[in-house]
Amino acid sequence: MNSGLVQKHEVVRRAARRFCEAELRPIAKEVDQEARFPWEVAEKMGKLGYFGMQVPRELGGADLDSISYAIVVEEISRVCAALGLCITVHNSVGVYPILAFGSDEQKRRWVPPLARGEKIGAFCLTEPNAGSDAAGIESTAVRDGDGYVLNANKVFVTNGGIADTCLMFVRTHPDAEKKEISVVVAERGTPGFVVGDLEDLCGMRANPVSSIRLYDCRVPLSNLLGKEGQGLRIGLAALDTGRMGIAAQSTGIAQGALDEGLRYARQRRQFKVPIERHQAIQMMLADMATLVDAARLMTYRAAAFRDMGRPFSQASAMAKLYASEASCKVTDLAVQIHGGYGYSKSYPVERYYRDARVTRIYEGTSEVHRMVIARGLTG
Amino acid sequence: MHIIVCIKSVSLTAGSEGALRSYDAVEVNPFDRPAIETALSLREAMGGRVTTLSMGPESTLTSLMEALAMGVDRGVLACDPAFAGSDTLATSTVLAAAIRRLRPFDLVLFGTRTSDSDTGQVGSQTAVLLDIPLVGLVHAIETTPAGLRVERTADHFVERYEITLPAALTIQSGSVQPREIDLASIGPAFEGDKVAMWGLKDLGLSREQVGDAGSPTRVRSISRAVQQKACEFLNGNPLEQADELMRRLAEAGMIG
Repeated sequence: MNSGLVQKHEVVRRAARRFCEAELRPIAKEVDQEARFPWEVAEKMGKLGYFGMQVPRELGGADLDSISYAIVVEEISRVCAALGLCITVHNSVGVYPILAFGSDEQKRRWVPPLARGEKIGAFCLTEPNAGSDAAGIESTAVRDGDGYVLNANKVFVTNGGIADTCLMFVRTHPDAEKKEISVVVAERGTPGFVVGDLEDLCGMRANPVSSIRLYDCRVPLSNLLGKEGQGLRIGLAALDTGRMGIAAQSTGIAQGALDEGLRYARQRRQFKVPIERHQAIQMMLADMATLVDAARLMTYRAAAFRDMGRPFSQASAMAKLYASEASCKVTDLAVQIHGGYGYSKSYPVERYYRDARVTRIYEGTSEVHRMVIARGLTG
Repeated sequence: MHIIVCIKSVSLTAGSEGALRSYDAVEVNPFDRPAIETALSLREAMGGRVTTLSMGPESTLTSLMEALAMGVDRGVLACDPAFAGSDTLATSTVLAAAIRRLRPFDLVLFGTRTSDSDTGQVGSQTAVLLDIPLVGLVHAIETTPAGLRVERTADHFVERYEITLPAALTIQSGSVQPREIDLASIGPAFEGDKVAMWGLKDLGLSREQVGDAGSPTRVRSISRAVQQKACEFLNGNPLEQADELMRRLAEAGMIG
């Protein structure tokens, strides 16, 4: 990387950090406790390019590279992981598949409002009986004249409660035995599009995760993304990018917990000295910093591969696996440094601890990631 | 209208010796960002161009790029190993030389102070060296046919000045809310060659005028200020405690 590139990334980091510290830090605790999506901040972010980070300028985006994207997601998540989740899911698995697989007409129709944050994107794959086994989905799209009739029951949809433009993974072959999966876009407001109750989650509470159900929801044939049967290909391409985003998010959560752990260790005194002087605490801080650094480097490597046009599937899977597990360890240690106060809502580390846990589950569990990585090794 | 804004990259770890100078250990002096914002608003109202100027090592370029991403038109970095160790007078000498090279200009803006060394001297010293009028701590600016009408608050009085251009102002930090950077403007900030680096020779200065040699003051040491707080319990019944407290406060010259 030449120095010009690094300098650009520093400007990206400073811009995102200042915005998050000024706008997001003051409300991060409150939106978690109230399980409220911070629209007041999201609207500002929409005007500042955060919802179209990798969208070309002609479609209203910020046209950033993948490393910049990872940096921004990291910085948001360092302060408020639930909004980091909204942004990464929207940008990666919500908008990117339309850019990569959509026709020019589809891009012109859907991308500009998504890039400005006027509409929110969602990726609807998981069903009650299909998660890790993506091919097992039961939702259907049946051709009927000039449209599809969709019936779907999608659960744990990130951004579900606020999503306008939803990529629905559905079976399109009339023969139920044939598992032909396609992606059809369903838009909120279409008759038959129903948003279910919000999930009452352990962490990421400011993100309105919900189910989305489609009951005989009729959409034009032009809402098909790519071709019929391309669904898994689109899904896998989206997830490669999405996983990089979750790796960045996990890195940000871990960095936020490290910052809090360090701050507390400097101010808390026991045995007449700040606890940062105790070797037991120093060991924890050293492990935390090392885990964060490794997670960050793996994330940026995956992003750099993507920017270079190199295959990055394996790097992205490894980064997501490592960073998510690192964020759980780091947040756990941050709670430990805080002692009893860490278990209380008086300090933010308990939120980081709750938020980190799901990173090992969504966008592919750690176990699925190990499966993917092993497959990359053994072929 | 050509507006020059002088900015500084400040260390986030000022005073803590041995702290790692990591990639994110510096930032644009927070007191300079309102000056940048003021310049951009004036340009929006009246047209013209905005140049940011800074003196510092090469790492300062990032702050100039940040200003470009905020909407500034070009940046100039006065950068030379000879500048190292400059105090506020030597810094002002370098800035004044660079500003002369940027002529013609109408307005030079400064923050009121910096978050690291906090002397608040550079704006006024530079204006003196340039022989232009300066109004400090300005919180409102209006344009007039002859120049500017500016307002500042000092010692509970609101003062209004009419000034002709070229002039210099230091901008009160709470007077405007600096804009956030639009991520879409970062890429274009790096397109083209918008930042120039000027050294000692470019500025027509001699070694004796800058750096350690040109600095009549020296920083002898920097250490973290330690606040000593002690808690002492007074004995006796409440009346006796109150008497004792009054006696001690009077003895310390705090009351009576």
